[in-house]
Amino acid sequence: MCLKPSPTHTSRSGGCTLTGALSVTTHIRNAASVIHGPRGCAHHNFSLLHATQLDNEKVSVPDIVSSALGEGDIVFGGEEALARTLEVVCDRDVAAVFVLSTCVVATIGDDIAEVCSRDWGVQVIPVPTAGFLGGTFQDGVNNALLSLADSAEPCEKTMSVNIIGEKNLEYEVGENYAEVARLLSLLGLPVGIRFVHDLSSDKIRLLGAARLNILRDPALVPVGNHLLQRFGTPYIESFPAGFSDTLAFISAVAASCGRNPERALEIEQSLQAEILSDFADIHDAKGVFTSPVMDSGSVRAAQEAADALNIRVGPDEQARPLPVQPVVGTSGIRRMLHRWRRAIHA
Amino acid sequence: MLMKQIALYGKGGIGKSTTSANLSAALSGMGLDILQIGCDPKRDSTRMLMHGTFIPTVMDLVRERGDAALSLDDIVFRGYNGVRCVEAGGPEPGVGCAGRGIIATFQLLEKFGALKGDVIVYDVLGDVVCGGFAMPMREGYAQEIYLVTSGELMSLYAANNICKAIKRLASRAKSKCRLAGVICNAKGQPKEEELVAEFARRVNSDLVEFIPRDRIVQLAELNRKTVIEHEPASPQADRYRSLAARIMENTRLTIPTPLEIDVLETLAYAYI
Repeated sequence: MCLKPSPTHTSRSGGCTLTGALSVTTHIRNAASVIHGPRGCAHHNFSLLHATQLDNEKVSVPDIVSSALGEGDIVFGGEEALARTLEVVCDRDVAAVFVLSTCVVATIGDDIAEVCSRDWGVQVIPVPTAGFLGGTFQDGVNNALLSLADSAEPCEKTMSVNIIGEKNLEYEVGENYAEVARLLSLLGLPVGIRFVHDLSSDKIRLLGAARLNILRDPALVPVGNHLLQRFGTPYIESFPAGFSDTLAFISAVAASCGRNPERALEIEQSLQAEILSDFADIHDAKGVFTSPVMDSGSVRAAQEAADALNIRVGPDEQARPLPVQPVVGTSGIRRMLHRWRRAIHA
Repeated sequence: MLMKQIALYGKGGIGKSTTSANLSAALSGMGLDILQIGCDPKRDSTRMLMHGTFIPTVMDLVRERGDAALSLDDIVFRGYNGVRCVEAGGPEPGVGCAGRGIIATFQLLEKFGALKGDVIVYDVLGDVVCGGFAMPMREGYAQEIYLVTSGELMSLYAANNICKAIKRLASRAKSKCRLAGVICNAKGQPKEEELVAEFARRVNSDLVEFIPRDRIVQLAELNRKTVIEHEPASPQADRYRSLAARIMENTRLTIPTPLEIDVLETLAYAYI
């Protein structure tokens, strides 16, 4: 039973583990995800993932298969239905098959691990999800990453940095990744693997090769700790948000990888100064922060940018609504300032 | 007459099926049209009425043929003295969800129009472990719940828990489910009748029948018959007929007042 509070308080805290886990497993190329449960659990997740991919300009059909349980399977147990589904899926040309469980099969106690452990000819990896019984969206993400991590063996380290747990359902997933990759490149560090974003299944074995892991956000700390124990890879617990956080991030990565950060910091500071001068037209404006979701890191980054531009934030008759989005790095602040400019000049 | 729907609940192994089968046999002897529905995956509720035969269960038939291919005649079997018998069935122990099986069976019985006759006797699995096993108490099925218990503390404890379930269900707006009485299926311990009668009074009900422990019950079962059929002239058969008569004339339906565990223990202690 999951009674743990979510480590972060985002709108995703209340989601279903299935969606979280699928946002990971459907990003492994040439792998299928079997949802062991009624068809509906596959249907709405399929629609969500497909639509989000389209919004991110990727035309791909998530490879999701349902074991399509009916009432008879619920009453008599669904293990046979899962085995029948796996027979069909494993017969296809797939490198790996993930099995995710729904609320109802967790309720009736199907032994999914046993079914998965049979000889299917391909790797069949059970991901503990159990629908809402297994926790939240984030638990689904974490459990999928942990299950995948155990399929990789420790290997020789290279001078590279892995990106862990990107939010594949967020619209800026590409931009956010590009920003972190840019910051790493300032230190001459290449990205190892994106664990997991559009990842070829044979690359998972490189998970242990990185010198450092960078987690997307602190909710992934349990995954970071697991990778630390399994592969000895230290981690930074979040993508940076805002100007000063980005500079601190560069220093932290440099320290972890034994690099001198001075040149990188100089480049980044001058970029930040350039951005502030680009937005001189919104100096001295008045505004209030608005957003459906306000994570503390983004609010802090927004306040910092507002202070740098001498924008007074607070209730005022002339205050304009300033949208605060989850921001990553220096570039995230630039995108946010563009929105502020539109709001202030509207 | 208005159709009467009664359900027997009680601890596992207390004798619900034996009592139900003999009750149905006795009721049929009063010229009534009886339907007995076994709501337990063990599927042995109606076996003595069927002379030792395990009849095919509703769940098995649905699984083999699909519900579209089934008719009323496939699931209802005539046993002793015309008593109609149905077994809900369910999964093998340790897999699936027997509670959901009960719910599915009730939906099918409704669909087939099987729930008719003068009296329907629902014989339900030991403890009301989940919503599925409370099904006969819900949706206006069994309106009269009889608790089967001996004087043993664990048996009274189970009966008391069922009182909690009835009380909870009775508080719902459209619920007609009420406690109708307590049946003592005795283990043969001293002061057993007095203890169970006092328990019944404390939970706001009555002891409707005391059924003494008698080897004749085991002998009838070994002959694959109810006591009513095997030894119709025996005093034990009289008890079942008396129970049947009491149930038919019983109009005292109550919302039970379940006891706290320490009160229950003190009560049992007082009748050592």
